[in-house]
Amino acid sequence: MSRLTDLQKNLLILVAVLSAIAMLPLFVTQRYFLGEIVLFMIWASVAVQWNVLLGHAGVFSLGQMLFFAIGAYAVGMMGVFLDMSPWMSMPIGAVIAAVAALVIGLACLRLETAYVALLTFAIVFMVSSLISTDAECFLTEGGLCTPLFGGGNGFSGFDDLGFRKMLKGKWILGNYFVVLAVLAVSLCASILVIHGRLGLAFRSLGDSRIYAAARGINRTQFHIIAFVITAFFTGLTGAVYAAHFRFAGPSLFEFSNLVFILAMIVVGGLKTTWGPVLGAALMMVVVEIAKGWGDVQNTLIGIILILFVLLLPKGIAGTGANLLRKVTSKS
Amino acid sequence: MDAILQIVITGLTLGSMYALGSVGLALTYGTMGMFNMAHGVFMTFGAYASYTAATLWGVPLPFAILLGVMAGGFIGASMHLFIVRFMLHREDFQTTIMVATAGVAILFQDLILKQFGAYPFKQPAQIEGLYRIGNTVVTYQSLAIMATAAVLISAMAWLLTKTRFGLAIRATAMNQDAAKLMGVKTELTYLQVMIIAGTLAAAAGILISSLASLSPAMGTNPLIRAFVICVVAGLGSVTGAGLAAIALGVMEAAIGYYFGVRYGFPVMLGLVILVLIFKPAGLFGKQGVVRA
Repeated sequence: MSRLTDLQKNLLILVAVLSAIAMLPLFVTQRYFLGEIVLFMIWASVAVQWNVLLGHAGVFSLGQMLFFAIGAYAVGMMGVFLDMSPWMSMPIGAVIAAVAALVIGLACLRLETAYVALLTFAIVFMVSSLISTDAECFLTEGGLCTPLFGGGNGFSGFDDLGFRKMLKGKWILGNYFVVLAVLAVSLCASILVIHGRLGLAFRSLGDSRIYAAARGINRTQFHIIAFVITAFFTGLTGAVYAAHFRFAGPSLFEFSNLVFILAMIVVGGLKTTWGPVLGAALMMVVVEIAKGWGDVQNTLIGIILILFVLLLPKGIAGTGANLLRKVTSKS
Repeated sequence: MDAILQIVITGLTLGSMYALGSVGLALTYGTMGMFNMAHGVFMTFGAYASYTAATLWGVPLPFAILLGVMAGGFIGASMHLFIVRFMLHREDFQTTIMVATAGVAILFQDLILKQFGAYPFKQPAQIEGLYRIGNTVVTYQSLAIMATAAVLISAMAWLLTKTRFGLAIRATAMNQDAAKLMGVKTELTYLQVMIIAGTLAAAAGILISSLASLSPAMGTNPLIRAFVICVVAGLGSVTGAGLAAIALGVMEAAIGYYFGVRYGFPVMLGLVILVLIFKPAGLFGKQGVVRA
C-alpha cells in the first residue's frame, strides 16, 4: 500500500465505498429506508463539500445552504415555469450556484474569517426572507398564484427524473442511483481537491500564511477557487435533491439544516477526507433512532455538536487516525 | 417634513434596540476574539424569562424585567463556565467557538419551543399612550425603549472607561499576555464580559419583544442585524457598533418607508458589503484584509 500515493489510496477507498452503497438495495428493499439512504447521500455530499471549504481551504462559509437552495430552486423554477426536465436543469442549477459563489466570493472572501462567516450568514438570511415574503404573482394558474421565487410555499409537484413512468413501483431505485452518481462525482472532486495541487496550496496556507504568500500563493484567489468549486457541487446536490423530492422551498434555508450538516462534519471529523461521510451516516442513524423518542431532533443535534466540539474536536475519523498513528509508531 | 420626523423616530427606536443587541456582541469579540452565534438566543431567553416571571409567576413588572435581564447574565455566565472556558486556548478557537455556540443556539431555541410552543405571546412590559409633535406620533413605548437603551449603554460605557474593572477588560482586549503579566485575571475578565454581553442581550430581547411579540425564533432577526452592524463597524469596536446601529436603524426605517419594509434589510446589507469592499476593516476597525 505504501507505494500508492494518498490520492490513489483515497480513490481506491472511494470505489469501495461507492460499490458498497450501490450494493445496498440488494439487502434493503423497503422504500422508506431506501429514501433515508438517498437523503444520507445528499447530506453526505453537502457535508463533504463544506468540509473541503471549512476544513481544508479554511473559508468559514455559512452560506452553503444558499448554494444548495440555488440548485434546488433552479430545478423547481425551470420545472414549473418552463416544463423543463430535471436532467436539463440540474447542471444549469449547478452552474448558477457556481456563478453566485463567484460573485459573493469576489465581494467577501478578501476579508478575515469571522467577517466571511457573518456576511455569508447574513446573505443567506436576506435571500430567504426576500423569497418567503414575496407575494407578487408571477404565474397565475387556475386561481393558484405562484410568485417568481415560489414565495412561502416554494415549488412542488414538477417533473421528476422520469423513473416513475419507467420503473413504476421501483422508481426510487432509479433516483437512488442518480443520487449515488452525484455523490460519486462530488466525492471524487473533493478527493482530487484535497489530495491534489489545490489541497497542497491550502495546506501551505494553513501552515504558514506568510511563507505561502512569499512563495507566490495568492490566498484570496485560492479561496475563491475553492468557494466556486464547492458551490458547484453543492448546487448540483441541491438540484438532485429537488429532482428527487420534487420540492424546493424556503424551508431549505432553515438554521436547523445548517447546524445538522455542521454536526455531521464535526462528528465525522473536520479536516479529514472521509469524516463527513461517516458523520453523515452516524447523524442520520442517530436522528432515525431519536424519531422514536418524539420530536427531539434539534435538541439532540445541539447537544451532540457541543459535546463533540468540547470533547472530540477532531471528530471520530480524526481521533481514529491519531490513535492509529500512535499505535503504529510505537510498534 | 412629517415623514422625515417619523422616519427619524422609528429609526432611532430601531437603532437603539440594535445598538443594545450589538454592543455585547462587539465586546465579546473585542476581548475574547469569540463570535457568539448564541447571542440571539440570549435575547430570546431574556424575553421569555421576564414574560414567565411577570405573567406566570405574578412577579411585579419591574422585578420581572430585572429577572429577565439577570437571566441573560446567568446564561452568559453558564455558557462561559461550561463551554467557552475549555476552548479558549485552542489554536482554531475563532472557528470552533462559532460551531459550538451554533449548537447552543439550536439547543436553546428548541428547548424554548418545546417549553412555550410557537404561540406569539405578548411581552407584558408595555407602556400605553402616545405623544404628538405636529402630525408625528411618538409612542411612550418607543421613548421608553430609547431611554432604556441609552441608560444601559451609557452604564456600560462608564464601566468600560472609568472603572478599574473596565480597565482590566480593555487591557485584556488589547493584549491578553501583557494584561496577564500586569496581574489581570483574564479568566475572570472573560467571565465578566460574557455576563455583560448576556445582560445586554437579554435587555435587547425584552425591548424587541415589547414591540413585536415573543417567539422561539425571535432572536434570529436581531442577531443578523447585530452581525451586520458589528461587521460594518469593524469587529470588536464597541463604540463603532453603537454608532453603526443607530445609523443603520435610521437607514432601515428610511428605506422601509420609501421602498417597502421587505427591502430595508437587503439594501442595508448591500451597502454594508459595498463599504467593506472599500474599507475591509469596517468603518472603525483597524485591520481586516488578510494580505497574503
